[in-house]
Amino acid sequence: MIPHTFKNSKFAIVVGSLVALVLALTMACSSSRTNVGNPSAIGKEVIDDAGRRIILPERVDRVVSLAPNLTEIVFAVGAGSSLVGDTSYCDFPAEAKSIEKVGDTLHPSLERIISLKPQLVLVSTASQLEGFTEQLKSHNISVFVTDPHDLEGVFRSITQIGDILGRSQAAAELVSSLRARSTAVETFVKPLARVRIFYQLSAEPLYTAGHDSFVTDLIKRAGADSVTADVPGAWPKYSAESALAAKPDAIILPTGGSMGEGNANVAEALRNSPAVQRGRVYKINDDHLVRPGPRAVDGLEEMAKALHPEAFK
Amino acid sequence: MLEARDLTIQYGDRKAVDTASLLLRPGIVTALIGPNGAGKSTLLRSLNGQIRPAAGKILLNDEPLEKFTRRSIAKQIAVVAQEAELRFPVSVLEFVLGGRFVWASGSGWGWESERDIEVAETVLKETDLSELSGRLMSELSGGERQRAVLARALATEAEFLLLDEPTANLDMSHQATLLSLVKQRCDERRAAALVVTHDINLASQFADVVVLMKAGQAVKTGNSAEVLTPELLLEVFQVNVLVDAHPVSGVPRVTPVHETFRHF
Amino acid sequence: MPVAATSNFPIQQNRATLRKTLVACGALLSALLLAILVTSLVGSERLPSGGALCALVSLGTNQCGLTSDQFDILFQIRLPRILLAAAVGGSLATAGASYQALLRNPLAEPYLLGISNGAAVGTMLALVFFGRLEWSRPLMAFAGALLATFAVYRLARGKVGASPERLILAGVIVTTLLSSVIVFVTTLMDATRIRSFTFWLLGDLSGASRGLLPLALAITITGAIALTFNARSLNLLMLGERDAFDLGVEVGRIRIIVFVVASLLVGSSVAASGSVGYVGLVVPHLARLSLGSDNRISIPSAALGGALFVIVADTIARTVIAPRELPVGAITALIGAPLFIYLLKRS
Repeated sequence: MIPHTFKNSKFAIVVGSLVALVLALTMACSSSRTNVGNPSAIGKEVIDDAGRRIILPERVDRVVSLAPNLTEIVFAVGAGSSLVGDTSYCDFPAEAKSIEKVGDTLHPSLERIISLKPQLVLVSTASQLEGFTEQLKSHNISVFVTDPHDLEGVFRSITQIGDILGRSQAAAELVSSLRARSTAVETFVKPLARVRIFYQLSAEPLYTAGHDSFVTDLIKRAGADSVTADVPGAWPKYSAESALAAKPDAIILPTGGSMGEGNANVAEALRNSPAVQRGRVYKINDDHLVRPGPRAVDGLEEMAKALHPEAFK
Repeated sequence: MLEARDLTIQYGDRKAVDTASLLLRPGIVTALIGPNGAGKSTLLRSLNGQIRPAAGKILLNDEPLEKFTRRSIAKQIAVVAQEAELRFPVSVLEFVLGGRFVWASGSGWGWESERDIEVAETVLKETDLSELSGRLMSELSGGERQRAVLARALATEAEFLLLDEPTANLDMSHQATLLSLVKQRCDERRAAALVVTHDINLASQFADVVVLMKAGQAVKTGNSAEVLTPELLLEVFQVNVLVDAHPVSGVPRVTPVHETFRHF
Repeated sequence: MPVAATSNFPIQQNRATLRKTLVACGALLSALLLAILVTSLVGSERLPSGGALCALVSLGTNQCGLTSDQFDILFQIRLPRILLAAAVGGSLATAGASYQALLRNPLAEPYLLGISNGAAVGTMLALVFFGRLEWSRPLMAFAGALLATFAVYRLARGKVGASPERLILAGVIVTTLLSSVIVFVTTLMDATRIRSFTFWLLGDLSGASRGLLPLALAITITGAIALTFNARSLNLLMLGERDAFDLGVEVGRIRIIVFVVASLLVGSSVAASGSVGYVGLVVPHLARLSLGSDNRISIPSAALGGALFVIVADTIARTVIAPRELPVGAITALIGAPLFIYLLKRS
């Protein structure tokens, strides 16, 4: 039943124009917000590890980090104050814990991120967030993807993040000091015999570091040969037989960091390996080995010291 | 003797069977008739222990039914009912051999003996299923399957046969054959049969005793002449009937008289 | 195939006999032993076949020229894993066959009924709370399976008892509920454990610690025997609970036996290897198709066939991308799903 007033055509015209006006205004307002990609906006262009071209404003001071290693990098270049959100796994440095949490690395909360109004979200492909990236783009939040496969890649990440956050000087200094330390290690171990090691990510089921894993590069630099360096993939599930047959001379157990007390024991298949027989089983803080960030060099040094005790008296 | 004494079976507030009594004696074929919902099938099912009565007793050879194990009841009382849907392929022979389970020596294991096969062969012949023994049950017609169900019950060699509408899917000739077989069984082996049926004339033809039920109660028990009277049938079925003698056999023949067809 | 004929001849055919059973089981057992032998020679590390064969036949007493590492690989890693695969396959197939008989539904399977998920939740809780105690896993898996069975049964009970349809439906409800519990518990775990759990949930025989192997084998064998001993009752149950009752089967008792024994079988499998799918569905089907529906022959045949199936699947899982491994559940699904579709089309 149409109310009597609506039948009045004049009234209809007025209401219709008002509605049209409101709609037009709404569209105009939202369209102005889509101009992040507009070349006329001031900004810089960067290319991330996924090969994407991203335009960022000159000054980026609201950042969300979706991986613990990226959080460490942000703090390490002195830009901790620009971090408005990070994940529940981000626990280093201590200040990272008090940053607002947006969830874990695998399932962060899109709503929480958006409500923090960041200009940029730093993402590690290790977190498998490709689909997520698309959603953030539609809310005009730029996403920067890092994917370091080795230590050089880490240095590159530090440099890029430093540039983005206006801390290029600090980043350069950090990279140069880290590089000096890693070069020192490599120099020390160069004349020494390379140790055959097995990197045990978990005992049951048996997981190790493969060809694409970041830690394989660290192992190489620490003067060791990982028996699984050529196994395809990053974290392959490994055959117990092959682990036994490999007869590694040393075993690295990443444990004690985010992993907690797990992975503190050698897998069944390796119980009689030369490594165990000679007591060459080394526990190293997993956060120093798995996070492609500044502390990776700590991990490198720790591994090198453990594997070549004679060089580091 | 299988006896139900003052049996009452309740479903919530409703009394499906209300203080009904029934006696099955060896050699006697008893027909249980009545309208839908009279409690016939319920009464039948209580006789082999499947439904527990709220009041009253069931006595098997003067012992209460509760005293017997499941298997010993099944050895003495066999049921022929509408068969359940078969979801797995089973041959007629395997189906009929199921009746020999009660004679198995082990509890859930054991293989069929020579005797088991003999009995199966015999009952298959009696029910005219010998030629179909190798076929799958699913390949048989409804009537043939019903005969297989009877064969299985006969294979148990039980003294008491309880048949719940056994002629429902059978054609005329097989209806007669099946009931003749039951009657013959009773005559020769001194078995007793209870046949629940909607077919009053069939009951009249084959039964020695007829029990008329209404609303859970056994209204009248007696031979067909005593029970199949127009007055009783009108009271129970709410239908006018004509009762005369069958021209050939002389047993009471009941013909419903539908005076008008109602229009809705 | 069924043959219509005159009275004497066909009586001896078309039914399971002791002789048929012994022949079928004998053949399957031989195939199983052969499979164990052959798959022991195959793995991510090459072993000298002659030496390995010799050592196997001597049951480990003679090293036959193998190095101590090779000997260890054969007897400490490979053989236990193969035997565990046999135990898991035998358990799951037997459980599946009995559920199908009891519930009168060829699609009844430990998964569909939520039993496996119940066992999985039990195992996960054991790992989280009693990680050190190895025996807590099969124990809690059994408890989980039993509780899931109980839940399914209570949910499905109508006025006239639990019809197979209601049971399957209730099973699906319980399965999906428990699946979300599993996902929930997984998200509470840290990232490193998630990977290993996802793998385990797909069926993984590599984590088989030797301690649980004797228990798993014992459960498989006793469970299969217990259910085979009730096979004749199950035959009657398969035709309908009411009919079975009429023919002298103690329906309630058999139901409890099947539920408890099958829960034990599923619990021990899931505790050892996670959820290996399709075994309880495909193997009993194949057994019935080739040997008939009589449980006296199809249950023991399913047990042996299931062991064979999972041994083969696991051999593929641990050799196809060696030295990496695939979860055995992925292989059983890859084989099982198309096979199942084919079987459905045939029937």
